[in-house]
Amino acid sequence: MNQFSIVGKDVPRNDARAKATGSAIYTDDVKLPGMLYGQILRSPLPHARILHIDTSQVASLPGVRCVMTGEDTPKVKYGNWRLFPETQDEYPLAIDKVRFIGDEVAAVAAVDPDIAQEALSLIKVEYEELPGVFDVDAAIKEGAPVIHDYCPSNISVNRKIKYGDIDKAFAESDYVREDTFHVHAVSHAYLEPCAAIAQCDLDGRITLWTSTQVPYIIQCLLASTLQMRENDIRIIKPFVGGGFGGKMELRTWEFCAAFMAKKTGRPVKFTLTREEEFLTGRRRHPMKIHSKVGFKKDGTLTAKDLKIYLDGGAYNAMGPTATFLCGNFGAMLYRYPSYRFHGQHVYTNKPPASAMRGFGAPQSIFATESQMSLAAEELGLDPIDIRLKNAQVTGDTIPDVATISSCGFIEALNKVAEMSDWREKRKTLPKGRGIGIGCYSFISGGVFNWFNTQYPFSAAEVRAFDDGTAHLLTMAADIGQGCDTVLKQILAEAFGLKMEDIRITSADTAITPQADLGAWGSRLTLMNGNAVLDAANKIKAQLFGAVSARFNLNVIHEIECKDGKVYPKGRPDRSLSFGEAVAMAQKINRGEPLVARGYYTPRNKGLVTPSFSFGAQVAEVEVDQETGVVQVQKFWTAHDCGTAINPMAVEGQLEGSIQMGLGYALSEQFVMEGGKTLNTNFLDYKMPSSMDVPPSEVVHIETYEPEGPMGAKEAGEGLAIPTAPAIADAVGHATGYRCKDLPITPEKILRAKRES
Amino acid sequence: MRLSRFDLYAPATLEEVFYLLQAKGPDARIMAGGTDLLLKIRHGALKPKSVIGLKKIQGLKTISFDQSSGLTIGATALLAEVARHPDIVKHYPTIAQAARGTANPQIRNMGTVIGNLCNASPAADNAPTLLAMDAKIRIRGPEGERVLPLDQFFKGPGQTALIPYEIVTAVHVPAPSPNTGTAYLSLSARGKMDCTAVGVAAMVTMTGKTCAGVRLFVGACGPVPLRAPKAEDILRGQELTEEVVEKAGTQASAESRPISDMRASGDYRTEMVAVLTRRVLREAHQRALAC
Repeated sequence: MNQFSIVGKDVPRNDARAKATGSAIYTDDVKLPGMLYGQILRSPLPHARILHIDTSQVASLPGVRCVMTGEDTPKVKYGNWRLFPETQDEYPLAIDKVRFIGDEVAAVAAVDPDIAQEALSLIKVEYEELPGVFDVDAAIKEGAPVIHDYCPSNISVNRKIKYGDIDKAFAESDYVREDTFHVHAVSHAYLEPCAAIAQCDLDGRITLWTSTQVPYIIQCLLASTLQMRENDIRIIKPFVGGGFGGKMELRTWEFCAAFMAKKTGRPVKFTLTREEEFLTGRRRHPMKIHSKVGFKKDGTLTAKDLKIYLDGGAYNAMGPTATFLCGNFGAMLYRYPSYRFHGQHVYTNKPPASAMRGFGAPQSIFATESQMSLAAEELGLDPIDIRLKNAQVTGDTIPDVATISSCGFIEALNKVAEMSDWREKRKTLPKGRGIGIGCYSFISGGVFNWFNTQYPFSAAEVRAFDDGTAHLLTMAADIGQGCDTVLKQILAEAFGLKMEDIRITSADTAITPQADLGAWGSRLTLMNGNAVLDAANKIKAQLFGAVSARFNLNVIHEIECKDGKVYPKGRPDRSLSFGEAVAMAQKINRGEPLVARGYYTPRNKGLVTPSFSFGAQVAEVEVDQETGVVQVQKFWTAHDCGTAINPMAVEGQLEGSIQMGLGYALSEQFVMEGGKTLNTNFLDYKMPSSMDVPPSEVVHIETYEPEGPMGAKEAGEGLAIPTAPAIADAVGHATGYRCKDLPITPEKILRAKRES
Repeated sequence: MRLSRFDLYAPATLEEVFYLLQAKGPDARIMAGGTDLLLKIRHGALKPKSVIGLKKIQGLKTISFDQSSGLTIGATALLAEVARHPDIVKHYPTIAQAARGTANPQIRNMGTVIGNLCNASPAADNAPTLLAMDAKIRIRGPEGERVLPLDQFFKGPGQTALIPYEIVTAVHVPAPSPNTGTAYLSLSARGKMDCTAVGVAAMVTMTGKTCAGVRLFVGACGPVPLRAPKAEDILRGQELTEEVVEKAGTQASAESRPISDMRASGDYRTEMVAVLTRRVLREAHQRALAC
């Protein structure tokens, strides 16, 4: 294992003090002179044609400065899949129809938020109500109401994967099982609601501060929807209070803030309320998953046939990617000699589902893991043994899709079994108590260029100074996951400097290098980390010149940066301080500052990702036999994220993942009636509180990912996957009830008990 | 959302409160901790022009206990204070437990037990225990004081027996009788910090092996916290065997009238009334025998 100085250490997060002391500036904290406050008028109907919008009353309300509808806009559709323009199905404000309760219809800006709120009530919209569809079965039925005219089937995306002779494999299987799973929508429930504030300068250029995961994507899509040039738009991401996939698209308020700032000449701010977030916000895709798997008698997998309908809600949002990925994740974790997938993304009259932590994997892998445990029981095998038998290993390939370049899955399975005393407990726990397992694999960023960017996927600029400091500039968006800290650690390690020697400027599209695709798909540590290393290596090449000149080095020498010094490898006695080396390099170049840019774009890495993380989690539960209440007693997790650049930050990811997974498994759901979300606050949206989170133990499995910076791969989303299947398996072990429709509520447990 | 404009008054005496109530008319609202009231105003459910805060009034915050006369909790005594008051913890542990189980620390440091009662939510966490313990509510109006058994106080969701210009000044709980035990249990969808979907409280008094007295109240299963008199009849005068307790649970369940809402289905609530009734009876029974 490589010896690192700062990488692999528990380094306190860059943002920790600012957040703990309240000095962190979030978008809503940004206040500009003369600023106006925006509000959005939303559709009260799930599906309707807009016949007429009358805004004439609004102007009479003192304090209103601007009102706009879709008619005022350039009417350009947008969506993140620019490579396939037909998937771009959304306007900033509704043009012809509204397609869900909360669909944005008009916006106003006024001198205070109360006036803006009141102004909304003066806008009169005449609708012709249309029948709505609220689940995939209704939406794909013959003669179902058509939600988008361009898509008469309501199926907007079809994705297929196939390899191996699947029919033959099933025919030759000793045991085949088929199950249908229903998984539900849950909210990102980031603590900072969406907010944006736009300013337009006298040259007509726009600056937008926004709570986003994807500054570059916002810049590009805002430019196209406003019909402006990309570089006349500057996106600045202040501190962000979480995103989890819910802030990775251009959204109405970003467009309207910019549009109205341009129109009024005054800054315009929008901040959503929690009620708006719950009523209309993005959510995790509900899916209907039909999965057929085949085994040999000894538990060896032979085939898998997976059909998934994604309930996409009213627009595609990030649905195409989720459709793509849930099929890829269906083939992960285990070696399927033959595999067939058909994913269909279906429109319904509900708030659009989109990316959410795990991006298709929590749903798909819930089915995978449930079936592995069910099959183990039927075949008389231990659930961990059947997994060990089929586990993917380093070097495995998924035909035409990906190669696994590092994999600690088997080690993780063995470790959680040992930590949790699995083999004993699975045999001896009394009725009402149970132990269960869930596993995961996840991507470290995506390969496929659906955004159709002309830039590298990640970029970094590094400036080195003769005072022994360095400045790192990157468009990577720290949204609370901690990439500012991790990227600084990588640079500090590469230069042999300390954390406090590095200044970072991130996520400002006007001053950080083009481009970065954003914080999603657990891509930043690997992709932006590689870009930082590339830039650092270019600087080091220049420092080599300086050190070489000073010590008259042989050309075969390599240089090393460590403890603030630069020296030929193995000869620390011949050293310059980092600052001296920079000064010399600068003199050689007649004062030219020492600056380098680094880039990373995955190449020859298949269709999905450059590298996969793996892990396993065991949950122990106690189920109250009379009330059906599930109490998780403890979690044990063993995971492989390659080199953990910052183990403390990785553990933070695990804690957050467990909290999210617990809610997904047991308590969180949108209560909906006719397309309307009824639980629009944290009292009725049952996100687990800190008091509900059980103790947990974790072990990092040591692997070294050759494609990752200093051996690192993802740790952000994969961990959100195993918790629900682990709890479901444990509840099954405790009660005999196998949940196939999340969440696992007390009522379902009792109903199953009555029926058994 | 828009917070409607209102004038906030902070009188120092009850006389001023009654003066203000009469002067400002029926739309004026009384506020103790404000944790329910301000939320309703913020959501536009109430638009009062005047809000009269009680926290400045001397003596209204008092919690007093006397072996013979019992416990008095003043109108502005905080949930947090009730939860940790040594006399309450010692002599009325179930009242302390219910207060401690209400909402979260921030709310408990602002909100009051009386406010929880006056808000008259069928799910109010503090109501079933106080009802089971035969609490009385002290009401003051411009005309003077009246005392009402708590089980006559609740009239419907958000509705109480208060008439215009009256306020609740205290709740009084009799001194604990010998050989008496109490218990309260609640269930909710989230676990440890949540609003109650079903709650049951019991007070059991034993004479030797026989149940001499019992009061049983169910929360969140009807328009007001409900008494289960027929279940009590099954228990009174009986030995509390598993069989009797089982029957009482089933009966309490039959006496509840829960609705289905997003917090639980009516069927689940009905079933849980039986389960929780059995559990609180066993617990109260044990405590009665232990004292």
